[in-house]
Amino acid sequence: MDLTCNDCIFYLPVDVFQGTCKISKEKTSPDSPCCKDAERLPKCKFCLHFMSEKDYLGKCMGKTLAYPDMVASNCIDFEWAQKN
Amino acid sequence: MSTPETAPANYYGHRPNDKIETREQKPQPSPRAQVARELYFEAKSSASMEFPYWYTRRWEELEGEIPIIRRAEALKAGFSHLTPAIYPGELLPMGKAAYLRGSYPMPWLSESFFMAAEDKFYQEALESGKLTADTFTTMGTGGGNVTRSIGNVISIAGKFGLRVEEMPVMVEVAKRWKDKSVDDIGHKYEQLVPGYKEKEAIMRSVICMFDSGYTLPQGREVINYYYPLQYGIEGIKQICDDNIAEVAGKPEMDRLYFYQAVRIMLEGVQAWIRNYATEASFLANLEKNAIRKQEYEEMSERLHWISSNRPRDFHDALQLTWTFHLAVLNEDAISGLSPGRVGQVLLPYWERDIKSGKLDHDKSIELLECMRMKFTQIDCFASMGVVGGVLSGNTFNNLCLGGLTKEGASAANDLEMLILEAGIRCDTPQPTLSVLYDEKLPEEFLLKGVACTKIGTGYPAWVSNPVAMEFLLKNYGHEGMMPEEARAWSIGGCLETSPGSWMPLELDGQVHWIPGGSAPATSVGVHFISLPKILEVALFDGMDMRTGERIFPPHRLPLNTYDELWTAFQKYFSEAVHVLTLTNNIQHDAWRKISPSLINSMLKPDCLKLGKDIGQMGSRYNTTFNVETTGTANLVNSLASLKLNVYDEGHYTLDDYRQATLANFGYKTANETGSFSLIDQLPNAHYDTWKKIHKRSSEAPKYGNDHPYVDSIFHEWETWFCSMAHNYQSLYGQPLYACQISVSTHGPMGAVTLASADGRLAGTTFSDASMSAYPGTDKNGPYALFNSATCWDHSESQNSQLNMKIHPSAVWGREGSRKFLDLIRAYLRKGGFHIQFNVVDSRMLKEAQKNPDQYRGLMVRVAGFTQYWVELGKQIQDEVIARTEYEEI
Repeated sequence: MDLTCNDCIFYLPVDVFQGTCKISKEKTSPDSPCCKDAERLPKCKFCLHFMSEKDYLGKCMGKTLAYPDMVASNCIDFEWAQKN
Repeated sequence: MSTPETAPANYYGHRPNDKIETREQKPQPSPRAQVARELYFEAKSSASMEFPYWYTRRWEELEGEIPIIRRAEALKAGFSHLTPAIYPGELLPMGKAAYLRGSYPMPWLSESFFMAAEDKFYQEALESGKLTADTFTTMGTGGGNVTRSIGNVISIAGKFGLRVEEMPVMVEVAKRWKDKSVDDIGHKYEQLVPGYKEKEAIMRSVICMFDSGYTLPQGREVINYYYPLQYGIEGIKQICDDNIAEVAGKPEMDRLYFYQAVRIMLEGVQAWIRNYATEASFLANLEKNAIRKQEYEEMSERLHWISSNRPRDFHDALQLTWTFHLAVLNEDAISGLSPGRVGQVLLPYWERDIKSGKLDHDKSIELLECMRMKFTQIDCFASMGVVGGVLSGNTFNNLCLGGLTKEGASAANDLEMLILEAGIRCDTPQPTLSVLYDEKLPEEFLLKGVACTKIGTGYPAWVSNPVAMEFLLKNYGHEGMMPEEARAWSIGGCLETSPGSWMPLELDGQVHWIPGGSAPATSVGVHFISLPKILEVALFDGMDMRTGERIFPPHRLPLNTYDELWTAFQKYFSEAVHVLTLTNNIQHDAWRKISPSLINSMLKPDCLKLGKDIGQMGSRYNTTFNVETTGTANLVNSLASLKLNVYDEGHYTLDDYRQATLANFGYKTANETGSFSLIDQLPNAHYDTWKKIHKRSSEAPKYGNDHPYVDSIFHEWETWFCSMAHNYQSLYGQPLYACQISVSTHGPMGAVTLASADGRLAGTTFSDASMSAYPGTDKNGPYALFNSATCWDHSESQNSQLNMKIHPSAVWGREGSRKFLDLIRAYLRKGGFHIQFNVVDSRMLKEAQKNPDQYRGLMVRVAGFTQYWVELGKQIQDEVIARTEYEEI
């Protein structure tokens, strides 16, 4: 899976088009490829309990609607599917 | 005459120059606020699905639970999962969503407007007239609006950007609310109202702008920060626990569920605040700059503290009030949630910090500038007709200054002077400011307000304290309001007079009586009736000639006399108010059952005391529904023209007028010319046929010139309207009252209206506000306009609104300020309720229309709010340019 800035824990979204890096303070796009300092942000698509079904939709725990790009930092059930 | 730049000591103002004149120079904001403002200018309005996803997920999990508990759990899930976003340099973190201008859809209110145009939900909504106003609204094409889809971003309602990866879940979540949302449930039952089909026709013709129950069910009210300040969140939870123990198992069991729901909701708010605290710690660990690192550490500690406890100082109190302001905005689609007299609420903390040396004036102003930036970032996710046609992208968070204390002395204070200073230095649209004018307010304070108005901020607006109190005592006296409590009032939204209460805030063993709102939304009910359109339909015996659709049954009056014409107008206006009151009552009933207010209810006295939310009349005052109108001057001028030219002097017949207005007096349409302003309209090939009747119509007496012929018609309208509104009952069994603001509705409503008998042409924008003259027709100076505007008793209406445009040269310098204050006083002393100003050279606005990129920071006053020029739709831009510009006062 190719990671973009939008998948990084250091990305601060300003709006849907742009954000800044919390480390470098530089502006960046959510769709830019991640740099070497990137760390994955907890998202459904990285979660053990997420199952992708079709574009941008899936299931949580095999039963509940979910979507891959939702930030899961505050989800108590989040578990990494793969370690970094 | 020398220019202002070369004559700094010119105290008396001067004639306008040949070139565009700028406004008076002003101090700049702090570097911190400047950074925030530059980031704001770059940011686009952005929507996310995080909150609605978690809300819906939890809601579905709790099928069968007590509805108010289900709602509380859904809110808790939404708040607990919001991703925190803290922006560079911020001192007051927290936002609606994880974008600088973030917002989100609330499909539990309404789910059709943000679906694709070809979707059957959208088509059904269009058919019922709910979305007609959207199609006649022009959105601002610049600034932060995402007007078209591009790359991985989808444009919604011409304003909000949504990441493409969130689009499928938005559609999926929306579909889950089909037939369950407030909109759908309300629609199901409103169809049982006799005459419902008439209501749909009214909406399709845009005689009424929009329904209120599912669009903006809360707002146009004043928040109350008392409980969090006095008790802290843990303290409020304890109040809930005590009451739960008291009421469990006893009659009026709904109290039990209310207290439990508040408790659950507060747990969500606490989690939300603590997630921000964790993020601040995370940023502190990343931060290399020692000063900023310390700011993050202090921020984290502060957020942790206020997530449970009472505030310790001014900064804590400011953060806590901002947090609860946001929390309310996140529970419903809301415009016009006013912080009210927050400079008086926070004064005890500020005075203590100043005294102890913890704060100085510069630091205070910097914090207040940060507050301004946070309020300016607020967006409201709503349909194009609502967010563009009504709100113009603004959300009307009105901060009020002055007025009187509980004991009746001037309430103006030093912190409010700094709020004005922050408004001058950091001139942003929000919070807009209003001075509650009373003769007791000190001159220094008033001149500070004038200094702020003069630099072109459009704020403060000037509103009459005695007129507002009189209105409140007339309309809330039966609910127990006394003069002392009437003094606690404030403006909710752009200009809605709202009841308040004095609450005993304890600090250091002293009691400080602080004002705050004590009523729910004061502008719900019948939302904007187009007066010129009603007259048009009356002339055509109930038909909308633009669409060919019958709106009302034929009135069958021959219209042989002016009195018959007036009767026909009254009949259709009354029918519209009648059916819209009933259908909106049903929508609001659906709202209070499906999506009751919990956060706002908890804050409003006396909900927590009574164990009732605001939908169950838990508020101290509940007479808050109203009837709103648009296009007053065009109605009055049209009636005057018909009275003169048809009935009194007989130059023409009504049929002549019908034909002339259908032919648009021989002019091209506004859409053909590309301008919505009368002065830009161009004749067509039939101009000669209609030019005489158009000339007579344009030359008939016009409102705003102290002319008894037309002012008597205006007086008759006002007297009748303010009285008839009381004939209708709200959901809460209370009489409605008149409300007279246009916000931005005079644009789209003008767009669907034929030419009118006053000479206004088809599709052009109506006169703004309610006391404003039609652009260019007030020819006898401001004092003649004041005489016309005050020929009726303003305390009979929730508000009245007067916009004036003044050339910067007219108020230049120290003496210009004095003259300006004299002008304001003159109007308010005559009994006027409200006056506000654009101090701007119209040529600058025309230049900005041509070159918007060079005017990103230019602000103008529309009707009760200030907005960035580039974020206004063309209908409103053209109207503001066309307004009469006074070069002398």
